[in-house]
This record gives sequence, structure tokens and C-alpha cells, in this order.
Amino acid sequence: MINIRNISIIISRDLQRFWKYRWWLAGLITMNLADLFIFALLFNNMVRRDLIPNYFLFIATGIAAIASFASAFSIGREVGVEIRRNYTQYLLSLPLSRIELAFGRILSGTVRGLIYQTPFIILLFILIDLPSPLQIIYILIASTLLSTTMSSISIAISTATRNFDMQATLRSFTYFILFFISNVFYPDALIRQRFPGVLYNIAYYNPVSLTVSLFRIIFKIYATPPSGYSELHIIMYLAIWALISMFMGGYLYIRNLEK
Amino acid sequence: MSSGRDVAISIRNFVKRFGDIVAVRGLNLDIYDREIFGLLGPNGSGKSTTMLTIATVYRPTEGDIYVYGKSVSRESDEVRKYVGIAFQEPKAMWIDKPIEILTWHARVIGYSMSDARRVVREVMEMLDLWEQRNKMFSELSGGTRKKVEVAKVLIQRPRVAIFDEPTAQLDVIAKHIVWKAIKELSREGSTVIVATNEMYEAEALSERIGIIYKGELKGLGTPAELKDKIPGGDIIEIHIEGSLDPLTKQMLAEKLGAYKIDHNNGLIRIYVDKGEEKITPAIEMLSNKVKIKMISMKEPSLDDVFMFFTGARLGE
Ligand SMILES: Nc1ncnc2c1ncn2[C@@H]1O[C@H](COP(=O)(O)OP(=O)(O)O)[C@@H](O)[C@H]1O
Ligand SMILES: [Mg+2]
Repeated sequence: MINIRNISIIISRDLQRFWKYRWWLAGLITMNLADLFIFALLFNNMVRRDLIPNYFLFIATGIAAIASFASAFSIGREVGVEIRRNYTQYLLSLPLSRIELAFGRILSGTVRGLIYQTPFIILLFILIDLPSPLQIIYILIASTLLSTTMSSISIAISTATRNFDMQATLRSFTYFILFFISNVFYPDALIRQRFPGVLYNIAYYNPVSLTVSLFRIIFKIYATPPSGYSELHIIMYLAIWALISMFMGGYLYIRNLEK
Repeated sequence: MSSGRDVAISIRNFVKRFGDIVAVRGLNLDIYDREIFGLLGPNGSGKSTTMLTIATVYRPTEGDIYVYGKSVSRESDEVRKYVGIAFQEPKAMWIDKPIEILTWHARVIGYSMSDARRVVREVMEMLDLWEQRNKMFSELSGGTRKKVEVAKVLIQRPRVAIFDEPTAQLDVIAKHIVWKAIKELSREGSTVIVATNEMYEAEALSERIGIIYKGELKGLGTPAELKDKIPGGDIIEIHIEGSLDPLTKQMLAEKLGAYKIDHNNGLIRIYVDKGEEKITPAIEMLSNKVKIKMISMKEPSLDDVFMFFTGARLGE
């Protein structure tokens, strides 16, 4: 029912388009990096050393996760444009099973996320340390799961409603929540202190936070690692995220494209 | 008739609604293996809706369509292996280039990379597209975009090839190239369906024609059969000044034994048998009621066939 060749051909098309936007992407990377440095310089001397010994590296790990999140999310915008131009009719007519089509598109987002994240991860290797092979595999798995989750959610948003303004609003809203109600900018201890219970839980189980925590554990950013987290726990949570959103995204994509 | 031929596509009580709009209302139609079938009707008749449903892009609201025995509603994955479609509105993203669009298409329908390159080049050269291969889709003219769309199916050579208004926006030379390519495809064994709102195209291409109007099939047969189906084989056309009152129209019909009389904008069309014997009585009856400007008699053309079956002109 699922032919790997078909899936890889779908992905190749999305990557070809990704490549066309490479200068735009390079701009985005540069901007992210600039943000990283500015933030770090500003805050490095302001944060409590007992919580975060090095704020620059703290943020750097956060930005690495944001990178894959942002580029995996880009697939949703394109799916939205395809629907608006009725291009989707073409995809639906091709000799592919619906499952291949849906998962192909989701995995395209995954691959985009991974590609875009790679330079940031390499930067971490250079700035901090080269982790063990097992830890590198953890990083790879976590990034794959995060990218898959983001790709699926973005596709779900673009297909859940035909109202394009609504799509844009939902996309910004999701982006906002995942980005700011997370541990990217502030340490878990601070979130626990300052955020009300619901927000704390969102921040805790947010797939971006989970990935960032994993990076921080692996790159030893924390003075004392937050309790209750091990690499495998995090990967399990991320896998649940990825599975649920993948089924949701795939289901909505197919159901709402077929009229 | 043509019974005994293998059926490629069987459309059964097919209804398609979009909200309140009924695009197709209860279509029953068999399309034979390896024939070129023309679906003829003005804009909004339900041609595209029917073709998109055969291609599994839409789902039937009621009824079903079978493609070589596979149901579009229940076995759409199987149906798609048989069908290739050139859409009425060319499908491509604006930043893509024709060469990329077609090479990817060739890949996704199953060619290896090297075969894809070769076949794409052949088809692009045949359609005179090769020079434009590296332009962005947004920069191409309407006709060129249409050719890229048609090229997809010519590359694919599917068992069921669907062309939705393949030559709209094409110049005469390009039209003939495309028609030739479609006929070639059929000779090689594809079943071809062509939707068109041009009578000339339907007659130039099709072995059989289905006349569709307002979502219903109004007529079906070879061009010759369709012409024969008009009961009054002959049409007397009378151009008059002023208009014809309903009573005179009715008397005229009775006196001449006409099957049907159409009257609009000063043109009376009388469908009769043995037209040559009916001209004189017609003139006698009308001359003291209206001013006759011109009178003529002709055999039906496909335009007349269309008019007879739908009561409308193409393009209306
Ligand atoms: N996706 C759609 N949504 C709503 N109405 C549609 C859609 N597609 C077609 N229609 C309507 O269905 C009718 C038949 O359209 P169509 O099949 O495109 O006719 P044709 O191809 O013969 O011009 C028209 O009234 C058209 O407006
Ligand atoms: Mg149409």
C-alpha cells in the first residue's frame, strides 16, 4: 500500500521547491543567527548564573529547535497555496495512493526541517562539544519527530478550513504558542515559578520545549538538569506528538481535499 | 448499435452536487475500450465535473463510475493507475519551469530518470515547447501553459486519457498537432475522452459524441447517427421580418407535418421529412402573415444536432 519510491518522488518535488527558496532561507538563517547573538549578548550578564551558567548557549539550543520547527512549518503555507490555485486536483489525480500522497507531503516537511536545522546543530557541535554517537542519534530522532509534528500540524491547519484568513490566524496563533509558551527563552525553573498551571503544562509538553530540553541535557547547558526528564522520556513524548499529529494531518489533508 | 464492444468506462446514475448546485444530474453512459469519445456541451454543462470524477479528484454524490471495472468511489487507488488527465485549467505552481513540471510528472507516473528525460524531450519537441523549457510557468502564455498540461498525458500514455478542452487558447497549427497526437494515442490503444465546447473539435476527433447540457446527457452516437436521429432529416430555414404568433406556428406545424419548429430572432427552423415538397406550402401559409426575407433548406449539421437535442446553441 505504501511504495517508498512514490513517497521519495513526492519529497523530491517539495525539496526542489525548497531549494528554489534557498536565498530566502539563507536570509532566514542569518536573521535567526543574528537574533541569537543579540539576545545572548543582552541577557548573558542579566540572568541568574545558578540557573543558567551560559545564556548564549542556552538560547543557541533553543534556536536550533526553532529552526526545524519554522522550516517544517513552511510546508503548510505551500499546501495552502496549492489548494487556493486548485493545484491539489493534479496531485489527487496522480497514480499514488491517498496514503502515499498524505505521508509524502508530511515527510517533505520533516526533511525540510532536518535540512534547515543541520547548520544550527553543527554550530552547537563547534561551540560546545561533539556529543557521543548515541546522543547524536537522540538528536536526530528528536529533530525528526519535532519536524514531523510541525509539518503535520501546519498541513492540518491549511486543510482544516477553506477560509484563508482563518488559516493565517490559526498558523500565527499556533506559532505564537509553540514559540513563546516554551522554554526557548526562559529556564524551566522560572516557568514553574511564574507561569500559571495550564501554561506551565503547555510549556512543559510543548514539542519545541521537549526538543530543546533534550538538546540542553545533551549539551550540558543546565547547572542542574530538570527532574523528571531523561532522553528516552522526551523521545517518547515527542513520538506521541508526532504520531497523533501525523494521523490528524494526513486525515484532514485527504478528507478535505476530496470533494 | 455498437453493442458487443468492450466497455472501458461505465457511468451509472452519476449525480454530483456542490452544495445547492447540481452539476451533473443522473448521468448514464458507457465509453468503449479504445474509442475517442467527445463530450460536447457549452460551459457549465458538467463536462469537467464528470471528467474530474473519473480521475478520482471528485467523489460522486450519488451513483458510481467504473473504470475497467473498478469503482471510483470504492477503489480509487486502482482507478488512478489507469487514468491520466489534462485539466481545463493548467495545473502548475508559478515558480516551476515546464521541464521540471514534466520531468517530475514522468517520474511520478513511473518512468526511470533517464527514460523520463528522453520522453519529456520528445513530447516537448513535438508540441514545440522545448525552447520554453526553462521559463517560469508564470511567464508563459495561456496557449503554452495549455500545451504543458496536454504534454503530461502524452508523456503518460495512460489506458484512459482525459483531455478537458485540450485546444482552447491554441492557434490553428497547434490545434492540429494536438489532435494528431490524441489520435496517435488512441491508435496505440488508449481510451480517449475529450471534453469540448467546439463542434468542430468534437467532429474532427471523436468516433462517438455525447451531448451534455445542464448536467444531463441529451444525445449520444457517432456524428452520422446523431444526424440521423433528427426525425425531420431536413431543415427548412426561413428568415422573416417581425415575429411569428404561436397560433400560426402551430398551424404551420400541423400543415407541414413538422417534428419541431424553433423560432428565435427572426429565424424559423422547421424540422421535416421530404423538405423539398414542403417549401411551397410553407411560403403560401406564411406570406400573408409575415414578410419572408430568405428561405433555404439544408441537411442537419452537428450544430443543428446540438440545437435539436438541447434547444440551445453552443456558446449560449
Ligand atoms: N468545485 C465546484 N464548486 C462549486 N460548483 C462547481 C464546482 N465545479 C463545478 N461547479 C458548477 O457545476 C456546474 C458544471 O460545471 P463544469 O463541470 O465545470 O461544467 P463544464 O466543464 O461543462 O463547463 C457549473 O454550474 C459550475 O459552476
Ligand atoms: Mg469545463
